[in-house]
Amino acid sequence: MREKHKIIGSPVSRIEGHLKVTGKAAYAAEFSFPHLMYGFPVQSTITAGEIKSIDVIAAERSPGVLKIITHHNALKLMPRPPVTHANRMTRSNPVLQNTRIHCFGQYIGLVVAETYEQARFAARLVKVSYKTERPKIDFDENLKDAYKPEILNAGHPTDTSWGDLESGLKQSAEILSETYNTPIEQHNPMEPHATIAFFEGERLTVYESTQILGTTKEAIANTFNIPKENIQVLAPFIGGGFGSKLQPREHLMLTVMAAKMLNRPVKTAITRQMMQTNVGLRQHNRQKVRIGTEKDGKLLALSHEIVTHTSVDEEFIEQSGAISRMMYEVPNSLVTHRVFTTNIQVPRWTRAPGETPGSFALESAMDEMAHRLKIDPIEFRTKNEPSVNPENKKPWASRSVIECMRMGAEKFGWNMRNSEPMSTRNGRWLVGYGMASASRGAPCREASARVKITNSNKNIRARIELAATDIGTGSYTIIAQVAAERLGLPVEKIKVIIGDSDLPPTPGSGGSWGAGTYTNAVDAVCEKAKNELLGKSKIKFVNEPGITELMKAAALNEYQTEGSVKPSEESEKYSHFSFGAHFAEVWVDESLGIVKIPRFTSAIAAGTILNEKTARSQIISGVVWGIGQALTEESVLDKRYGNYVTRTFADYHVPVNLDIGNIEVYFLHEEDKTINRLGVKGVGELGITSVAATIANAIFNATGKRIRDLPITPDKLLL
Amino acid sequence: MRPFKYSRAEDVHSAIQKVAANPNAKFLAGGTNILDLMKEDVERPDELIDVTRLDLAGVKMSSIGVSKKSIAIGGLGKNSDTANHPLIRQNFPLLSQAILSGASAQIRNMATNGGNLNQRTRCSYFYDVSMPCNKREPGSGCSALEGINRMHAVFGWSKDCVAVHPSDMCVALVALDATVRVQGIEGKERSIPIIDYHRLPDNMPQIDNNLKQGELITAIDIPENNFAGNSYYLKIRDRASYAFALVSVAAGLEINGDSIQQARIAMGGVAHKPWRAAEAEKFLVGKTPTQENYKAAAEVEMRNADPLEHNKFKIELGKRAIVRALQLAISNNMS
Repeated sequence: MREKHKIIGSPVSRIEGHLKVTGKAAYAAEFSFPHLMYGFPVQSTITAGEIKSIDVIAAERSPGVLKIITHHNALKLMPRPPVTHANRMTRSNPVLQNTRIHCFGQYIGLVVAETYEQARFAARLVKVSYKTERPKIDFDENLKDAYKPEILNAGHPTDTSWGDLESGLKQSAEILSETYNTPIEQHNPMEPHATIAFFEGERLTVYESTQILGTTKEAIANTFNIPKENIQVLAPFIGGGFGSKLQPREHLMLTVMAAKMLNRPVKTAITRQMMQTNVGLRQHNRQKVRIGTEKDGKLLALSHEIVTHTSVDEEFIEQSGAISRMMYEVPNSLVTHRVFTTNIQVPRWTRAPGETPGSFALESAMDEMAHRLKIDPIEFRTKNEPSVNPENKKPWASRSVIECMRMGAEKFGWNMRNSEPMSTRNGRWLVGYGMASASRGAPCREASARVKITNSNKNIRARIELAATDIGTGSYTIIAQVAAERLGLPVEKIKVIIGDSDLPPTPGSGGSWGAGTYTNAVDAVCEKAKNELLGKSKIKFVNEPGITELMKAAALNEYQTEGSVKPSEESEKYSHFSFGAHFAEVWVDESLGIVKIPRFTSAIAAGTILNEKTARSQIISGVVWGIGQALTEESVLDKRYGNYVTRTFADYHVPVNLDIGNIEVYFLHEEDKTINRLGVKGVGELGITSVAATIANAIFNATGKRIRDLPITPDKLLL
Repeated sequence: MRPFKYSRAEDVHSAIQKVAANPNAKFLAGGTNILDLMKEDVERPDELIDVTRLDLAGVKMSSIGVSKKSIAIGGLGKNSDTANHPLIRQNFPLLSQAILSGASAQIRNMATNGGNLNQRTRCSYFYDVSMPCNKREPGSGCSALEGINRMHAVFGWSKDCVAVHPSDMCVALVALDATVRVQGIEGKERSIPIIDYHRLPDNMPQIDNNLKQGELITAIDIPENNFAGNSYYLKIRDRASYAFALVSVAAGLEINGDSIQQARIAMGGVAHKPWRAAEAEKFLVGKTPTQENYKAAAEVEMRNADPLEHNKFKIELGKRAIVRALQLAISNNMS
């Protein structure tokens, strides 16, 4: 039995919070150096074709301009090897090496000037002529070229099946077959991507807004053929990433190139408009779901067939059907992914890749089927709860989805729901309740950390160092909490140093692995320090000593040690997922189609919650984006030109405060004994999963109208 | 941003002189639209005359003729100050509602009344210099006509331009029969009825309104009316705040006993200018204020609408919005 935690789990306020609210936390673009120059990218204004010529004469004559880099004078970079699951983030990313244009807005040059404004202005003076080809943009037009890819993101298999789907459907008393569309979406973190790069001799320093320091360093090394040891990547604060900052992007390579060519520090901060065209997106998924059940609601067949697009430049496919492989017990299953290439920029990981679009289709379809069967949606799901992971037959390390549904239902007041659509009103508002269950893989990875303990006049302090990142999630704080707990010190005595690639390596923040990975490494190194000090001590302790007693016993003023931890062999034997259940009350204006969500309740089971406050914020932010996915967010492309008509926040609608009602989050007490030392499963992506389905289900309950194409804007609800 | 000359005007006369003398000069007031457009390289003035220090911000009551009063709002008054001014809240709650449903609090704190009138369309093709747009570059073609036109016009558009005027405030001003007072180069003032201030695109979509180069909006006059208690501004949009209207309706009814004496209905999000729903207004005069009559009026108005590929929903939404706005004007029910 694990000991009861005192500091882990408590809602400690962010230890770096006051730096952020007072503007003292410096983000990548906010550092300054003597002789700093500013880069501004030149972008392609066509979507497919070749650059015929680039005229930089006027731009070069423009005030303050120091250099204009195009494919004519770019440094020769390492060629790009074919993409694999293993090298996607680290392979060479050679910019400006040829004249080929594969998507709108592609960087085709960099203007470097004394000021940002001079660089931006001169970038407009660069004249480019192109040989234009008709771009492949439209989904329906290009669907016919869909093929079966070899593998999906994160190594998920393309197709899976067991039993016999068709015969399962034939045996079924009730059959549902529907198609769901989730549109292109953009990450839009608060902080746009930015880089500062400079060389000191052979040594390169890079300030970069990145989620992962190690892979950023490797990608630069592989692109410029520089030894990794000569590169330091710094990212003390990151204003959100959501997956867009996992892979080092092209603006970074342009900036390093400029710094090398001019031998001066260069800063490139990309614009909000470039955030739409150059840092990845969540692709449009068209998803056909078929469900067959017995009369009592037992699933007999489930298929989830997906078609989506990738770029002509690189194949990337999110695992949208993965959730249908593990969520329910079903004897006959088919999950497939097909993809076609387009001149839309290459898709990228976007908060809960796979689960976010996939859960909309699966959990909407489950709700549709429950309605047909006249079974309560919670009962329907409970009836089809799998005892082991149906995909690989591994036992669940922990799976509390039924408990989440029960707890959420009770807190929300689900028993007040009238299952008949259009049966509840408040004036001209139709009121509806909806729910969906949620899941997200809970990976944990190898990481290392260093602890330095100092004793100065009996004042014992600890410094924790690791190459972690805090992308706004609260890494600083949970690392401090775990160290404080293990060392027996108050949080104030812990100094956390992260955001520096020279520190002990970690896999960074992404895929919901950050919190569990960092804190388990810190937990392990603190324990290691204590054991080592105990070995140096001649005293025999009766009770477990804290770090203060150990330092005293060892008669040391300073001690440091480093350690790492990786997932145990035991943990590999289990399936690790976080689970949850969402509930929404929606109001729909009966004649104008306006939707309000006055309240939303989430019940979450994610193992040990490290900090109730930051974990809650993670879930709330996921729910908010889920509301955006459900009601407002869509990137729209003009198929003739291949560029976006939703280039700014005036057109790409993220939810505003007024769109968000009361969001309540409840954490279930859950112990996961196999995932890692601390039993942490991660909450970064679970919050968004199934939110859109929850809202669509509630809208159906309110109006009787089933919307299968997101976002659900007022025009789709004119009843 | 292209380099430009900046100077601050000391008085109205010299401000007008400077802008009149340079065809590439523009006035700078709140800057909430012109600066965006300059950063996007859509507007390329080589000179900005900052008029924010001129004394044109007040809200004043004055008389027209013998018995009728009107209220003048200054051309440089801030949108938020105007919306919250007691005289406006009391006499023209419709205007307050319309202003407060536009943009965001931060933008309304900067934006001026004159600037609101002169803001340019938010058509995404107009904003993106890599795509053809007749309004930005006459003769290059209208990308929205056969492009993505969900947000675009259903009334009064031409083959050359299908953009809509983005303002909420102007829709209310049209329903309120306001007039725009402008001062020109010779120091002469002229008044333009708001309905004639903005233009339909025809074959010159590059010209949004009938203001001449160098003319400065000094005030907007709003005549007293009898429907302040029976008015409502309804805006339907894709999110609850900070979004342009899919459709908006400014409605006012003057009721005498059981019958509608006068109806004022203007629509936003449907045309290149705030759209006066004159046919619906005409239909309602003398009728009883009932749901059936509102529906019939909405039908009469919207039967002339001519939608594009992606905005057919605006016909039905427009009808329902007219009905709802009229209902709320009577019940004065703030939803």
